[in-house]
Amino acid sequence: MDLFIIGINHRTAPLEVREKMWLSIDEKRHMLRHCIKHFFSECFVVSTCNRTELYGIVDEKQFPQQSHSSHYQEIQDFFVAYKNFESQLRPENLYKLTSVNAIKHLFRVAAGVDSMVVGDVQILGQIKDDFQLAIDEHTAGTMMHKLLQSALHLGKRVRTETTIMEGAVSVSYAAVELANKIFADFDHRKALLIGAGETGELTAKHLAGRGIGELFITNRTRQKAEELASTIGGSVVEFENFHSMIATVDIIISSVTATEYILTAAQIKNSLKQRRHSPLFIFDIGVPRNIDPGANDIDNVFLNDMDSLSNIVAQNIHKRQLELPKVNELILEELKNIHQWYRSLQVGPTIVDLRNHFENVRREVVSEHINRFSEKEKELVELVTKRIVNKLLHHPTVTLRNGHDETESQKKSRLDLVRSLFGLSGRVHNEEKSETH
Amino acid sequence: MNTIIDIFNILLPILYAMLVWFYAKDFLGNQPLHKNIRALLLFPTVAIHLIYLTLRTAAFDHVPITTMFEIMSIISFGVAVVYVSIEYAINVKGTGVFILFLSFLFQIISSLFIEDLIEVKQVLRSRLLGTHVTSALIGYVGLAIAAMYGFLYIMLYHNIKAKRFSTYYLKLPNLEILERMTTISITIGFIFLGIAIAVGIVWLPSAFEQFSYFDPKLVITVCIWILFGVSIMAKRYYGLRGRRFMVLAIAGFMIAFFSLTIGNLYFTDFHNFY
Repeated sequence: MDLFIIGINHRTAPLEVREKMWLSIDEKRHMLRHCIKHFFSECFVVSTCNRTELYGIVDEKQFPQQSHSSHYQEIQDFFVAYKNFESQLRPENLYKLTSVNAIKHLFRVAAGVDSMVVGDVQILGQIKDDFQLAIDEHTAGTMMHKLLQSALHLGKRVRTETTIMEGAVSVSYAAVELANKIFADFDHRKALLIGAGETGELTAKHLAGRGIGELFITNRTRQKAEELASTIGGSVVEFENFHSMIATVDIIISSVTATEYILTAAQIKNSLKQRRHSPLFIFDIGVPRNIDPGANDIDNVFLNDMDSLSNIVAQNIHKRQLELPKVNELILEELKNIHQWYRSLQVGPTIVDLRNHFENVRREVVSEHINRFSEKEKELVELVTKRIVNKLLHHPTVTLRNGHDETESQKKSRLDLVRSLFGLSGRVHNEEKSETH
Repeated sequence: MNTIIDIFNILLPILYAMLVWFYAKDFLGNQPLHKNIRALLLFPTVAIHLIYLTLRTAAFDHVPITTMFEIMSIISFGVAVVYVSIEYAINVKGTGVFILFLSFLFQIISSLFIEDLIEVKQVLRSRLLGTHVTSALIGYVGLAIAAMYGFLYIMLYHNIKAKRFSTYYLKLPNLEILERMTTISITIGFIFLGIAIAVGIVWLPSAFEQFSYFDPKLVITVCIWILFGVSIMAKRYYGLRGRRFMVLAIAGFMIAFFSLTIGNLYFTDFHNFY
């Protein structure tokens, strides 16, 4: 299978290059249309913040094997020039892969192991969306469908059969995960964000994404709190009044710059009586710390700071790395499956021809002698002769399909032999291609 | 019928062992196959256990409460029933390995030593006694499971407090769910103990001349019942929750366990049917 990939990703190119090469939906559509017209029989493009990759099946009729390298150069020139960025794009920013290596790369991307953060969950959805784009533009044929479906299937297997996508790998998300270990759901919970720092904002966004019931935002500069509230949704509370909220909220995220604790253990303890000892999760991102560490000794109060959450993140990253061998096994399995499918596709036309040939012979002989039989016997003759043909062809069909260990040339010569023995018309590789495309 | 009872007697510990095995595999790993098998096994196992107990009752003309090993099978069944109720109500499967291990343990001991008794005291043939004892057993099983969930809660609570993010942290349900599971278990325990007490108070005076309302076992059971009833009320109306509620669930069960053990050892009177 002549799958070709050209692309850049987070390993080969810095952010300023990647963001220039990023493609909008319209640009992706345009690129697909151009490529299907000039370079490939099938193609697909994926573009995220960490990668822009063009996948294509090279049309064998248009570009025979010997002219591949010059053809690849043409594609590269087009890819590089597409965003008018060729002057700043260095050769080492690009990678080109073909055949099995290309398929393996696609599978690694779908499995989330080629991402910046190992076990990336989002990439599968991005591939799915971009695949839909290729379907809409009619640039995904049999091969691309099979490849992408296998890649998506692999991604799902990786998600369900391994733990590589489990565990938060950012401090803000780890805080939400930890809160989720205390509360079953967030939809009837209230959260208070004190300060408008980046990590605090991200944590609040994650909470909003998980459907937090109510979000209150407070900041020394009210305007900042209002801006944030309008972005992620929530109500603004005066900074001077936030203490009164402690008794009613379940989650507090604090990230203000303060020389003294903005919440003491005694204040939190008093609020617990009012909240009837309902659990309180506090995430203190402030440096120096905003919340009295003694609060963690109070029953049903769970205080976490940057250090404790960074430990969770480090642990999770390590756990994901340990899952890599399992993922690699799944990739290998999927590679074998696709290889098997591809081979069965190649022998398919010969089997069809062989069966058609036998069926024609059967019909010819039966029609010559069918009038010697009564009406009732005619049906029986049809049935019996069909069974004989099926029995005769069963073993050859199975043998042809099972030639997994053969090299390409061995397989080709065997298919040629079958074709010449039974006088099947046409050369095998021509027919295979007409079947494939 | 006896052949079927014998087959079920062998089959039940095997089924419980398989359940525990697949729940453990699911707890430690993430294979869909293990999830599917344990989901497929749970209800049939409990159903077979119910059929087994019904067949025993029919075949030997008494509820299987006449020997320690018959009672163990009832306890095993009670544990499984309480667990299934909780799993069905909350749809959380992460604790099955801990709870169903008890079912397996009681059932294997029962299966190994159980006898097919046809001749038993007349009083043991009473269906009301069967209801009384079975309800009491399921009630105490409910309280025992509540204590087990309370223990898991405390373990996870301290894991989170101490920032230890072990396998228990990852695999156990969250604190709120564990608290709900404890509450359901206590409620089941409270209801069944209530039935046991009610049946006992109605039936015992007519069955035993020497019946006394000050029978130690009755007094202890009523006290335990009141204690858990008050806990449920306190949780609902006075904000008794979190770690304190769990400590009470564990302490309540311990009090029940030790007071009944002491009661059985030192105050034997009519409330002893064997």
